[in-house]
Amino acid sequence: MAVGNEGVPHFPLVGYSDVPDKGVPLLRVRDVSKSFPGTRALDSVSFDLYRGEVLAIVGQNGSGKSTMVKILAGVHQPDPGGQIEVVDPGGTGLLHGDRRDQLHFIHQDLGLIEMLSTTENLDLARPLGFRDLLPGSRRGEHARATALLARAGARINVRMPVALLSPAERTIVALARAMDGWTHPDGILVLDEPTASFHTNEANLLFDAVRQVAASGAGVLFISHRLDEIRAIADRVIVLRDGKIVLECPVHEADDATLVHAIVGGQLEAMDVSRDVTVGDVRLKVTDLAGMRLQGMSLEIRAGEVVGVSGVLGSGREELAPLVFGARPRTAGSVAVDGTDLGSGDVAAAIDAGMGLVPADRARQGAILLMNVRENLTLANLRSVQSRLGWLPRRRENAEASRWMSAVSLRPPHPERRLAQFSGGNQQKVVLAKWLRTEPRVLVLDEPTAGVDVGAKVAIYELIREAARRGTAVLVCSSDTKELAELCDRVVVLDRGHVVGELVGSDVTEESVLHLSLDPSLPKERVVS
Amino acid sequence: MTTGVQAGSTEDNDGVTSAQQRAHLPEGPTRWSKFKRDASFRNVSGLYIIAIMIVIFWIWEPNTFMTSLSWKLLLDNQAISAIVAVTVVVPLSAGIVDLAVGAEVGLGSILVAWFITDRSLSIPLSITLALVAGAVVGVIVTLLVVKARINSFIATLAMSSILLAVITWIGGGESILVSSLSFAKIATGELFGIVYPVYFAAIISLVIWYVLEHTSYGRRVYATGANPEAARLAGIRTSRVILGATVTCGVLTAFAGVLTASQLSTGDPTISSGFLLPAFAAAFLGSTQFKGGRFNVGGTLVAVALLAIGVEGLSLGGAPVWTPNMFNGVVLLLAVGFAQVQRSPRKRTAAISRVINSLGVRQKG
Repeated sequence: MAVGNEGVPHFPLVGYSDVPDKGVPLLRVRDVSKSFPGTRALDSVSFDLYRGEVLAIVGQNGSGKSTMVKILAGVHQPDPGGQIEVVDPGGTGLLHGDRRDQLHFIHQDLGLIEMLSTTENLDLARPLGFRDLLPGSRRGEHARATALLARAGARINVRMPVALLSPAERTIVALARAMDGWTHPDGILVLDEPTASFHTNEANLLFDAVRQVAASGAGVLFISHRLDEIRAIADRVIVLRDGKIVLECPVHEADDATLVHAIVGGQLEAMDVSRDVTVGDVRLKVTDLAGMRLQGMSLEIRAGEVVGVSGVLGSGREELAPLVFGARPRTAGSVAVDGTDLGSGDVAAAIDAGMGLVPADRARQGAILLMNVRENLTLANLRSVQSRLGWLPRRRENAEASRWMSAVSLRPPHPERRLAQFSGGNQQKVVLAKWLRTEPRVLVLDEPTAGVDVGAKVAIYELIREAARRGTAVLVCSSDTKELAELCDRVVVLDRGHVVGELVGSDVTEESVLHLSLDPSLPKERVVS
Repeated sequence: MTTGVQAGSTEDNDGVTSAQQRAHLPEGPTRWSKFKRDASFRNVSGLYIIAIMIVIFWIWEPNTFMTSLSWKLLLDNQAISAIVAVTVVVPLSAGIVDLAVGAEVGLGSILVAWFITDRSLSIPLSITLALVAGAVVGVIVTLLVVKARINSFIATLAMSSILLAVITWIGGGESILVSSLSFAKIATGELFGIVYPVYFAAIISLVIWYVLEHTSYGRRVYATGANPEAARLAGIRTSRVILGATVTCGVLTAFAGVLTASQLSTGDPTISSGFLLPAFAAAFLGSTQFKGGRFNVGGTLVAVALLAIGVEGLSLGGAPVWTPNMFNGVVLLLAVGFAQVQRSPRKRTAAISRVINSLGVRQKG
């Protein structure tokens, strides 16, 4: 193809004949792929987005959803061969997708400045001119902001600092800001898991706004985890799995079972993780634990047991680990290790009682990236290395470091290298080893393999199972249902702050966990609760 | 080890040696490369610069610069500055920017003079009380930072202003003379021809170095400074670590104040400002030495020496009065900037890194 024209970009002509009677699509994605070293995050993805339509894209973590959003936003470049086209301002033809001014994104981080009012936040989005140095009319600006919000069907006090608004209201402000200055009503909105931080029942506010925007002629891409939300808002749904579109149909044509099956995939082979657990006494006892989202959770984990906690973002799953460990103060309830009650927010007491936490945010909470491997490994239990007067004999510490480096097979095994110079998987091995060194009675893991490559993942699972065999009670909080299915003897599912189900033993499969997590209202045939 | 044994079986004569060599193989080259890395310009640039400066000044001013008298004066003058500089390393390592160190020195100085002259207390008691006052300042700083959650930069800036007010209040804005000769002896007495403060500086540096680098307390200090949240979640009681650091800082700076008062035989209310900037300059400059970005005692001492020798050489050579300040500022910017360029891999410094790399390649070829 075009042998003599190497180096000249080749743009296939767009044929309008295959466009259905909906008219010209607002957004056309054709054969878009994206390869990262070792993985193919997106594989020939094609879809169209039409006027007045809400198109939902669903899929598990790592299915390619966020890669798709990042390609649309221009963060990643797609592999050569794919093309993205956006409708031209006249609404008649399609332009090459580098014209991103028609695409508007609402990410989970809304990018609002909390101290400023809604009006001021909306003003910030406008281009600045010399006119802005002149005194402006406050009242006029407030009226303009109110009118903008009214287009999204919302009534918000525009003079209040954004910090005082609820998460849903803030999202609507971001929505209004994205739509500010649209010359045509047919822009494209991309909402990336917008409801994750919402309080209960707030989502309807946003959905009304989104429907209003779509009704005025815009196209909306709605990225979500939750099947009930997709039913509430989307016209069409695309299911991504392993970077490919595995299902595309109008929402009303697919029942939940079909969707879940499409999300998880057919190949649900039985896990070979040994479940012949010799369970001991109750090690961790959590009673009526409550926090910002979590509203009273009770849980018991026995020695040798690996218990998983599942739930979508916002279910309370993401704050369970910090609450149990005391990294965050709890609002109610109690946590006890081997019968010893732990004070709220008392990390040192938790560690003294034999607890360890591998936090979800490795860079901020888990690892000290500026310190080297040896220093990170020994940090949680310096007492065992230190000699009289707090002296740390280097030889003893080196021996300890090399012992644990080989135990977790750190690559490369350099104890004096700063942690920042290791891959995510190897950093996580060090954080895990730091706690395994303390021979914990209770090990709390929050997203233990987030940002970890496949090889390191297997190694980490083996380390966790090994710790359980030695009598550690393990709590795994994870958004990765596959991980929970592979690792856990028992999985508790949270939704909106409450336990909605529990799966035990052979019932713990990826499909059953996902089923419960995504749509807790489904009939729970295999639920032991 | 198995490969070593096989090698032994094939090479009869020096089988044992080769096995040993193989066993040591991972160590031998690393030891040499470790030495090369430790002695590299980027790791200890300060030592090389000192050496270059000494040669230059020696050639420039052979009659004054290389005399034992000028070196002795250099040591005498810098001992107290060195104490303050290595003291600042402690809170900085714990993540606390203590801008009140200058005022803390001033407070120690005026207090000890006030206790001795105005209150007629004994010298040991006066010194002890001055040190206790320093400790109290440290406690207050920790309370402000940990309990009131005020950024240490702001808290100590305010603290500095308050301490300056206290200093003026105590002395009525004037110097307090101390006539006691035995008090003056503390900073001016000599052992083997070197004044006592040099020994104090050496002992304090040694102790801080040992505690920071070789004890679990020091490890906790560095962890708290590098990532307070991760340190807390590893079970480190970070507020206690910070308390230890600020109290140490308060006591040692007050001691530096006592030495200053003894040196001048006066509690001088105006000395505070002279200590803050040099101490921080030395600590920051020192952080680019040896440990590559970590505050450390050895690097700080090298920095103190570098700045002092540079300023001394320039003034002996008859440079104008504004050169010392200019020299301090330029050296600090160059050293820290250079370390920054080497550490950040891409982006802003890509062009410079490429130049450095291409130089390296050319040298090899």
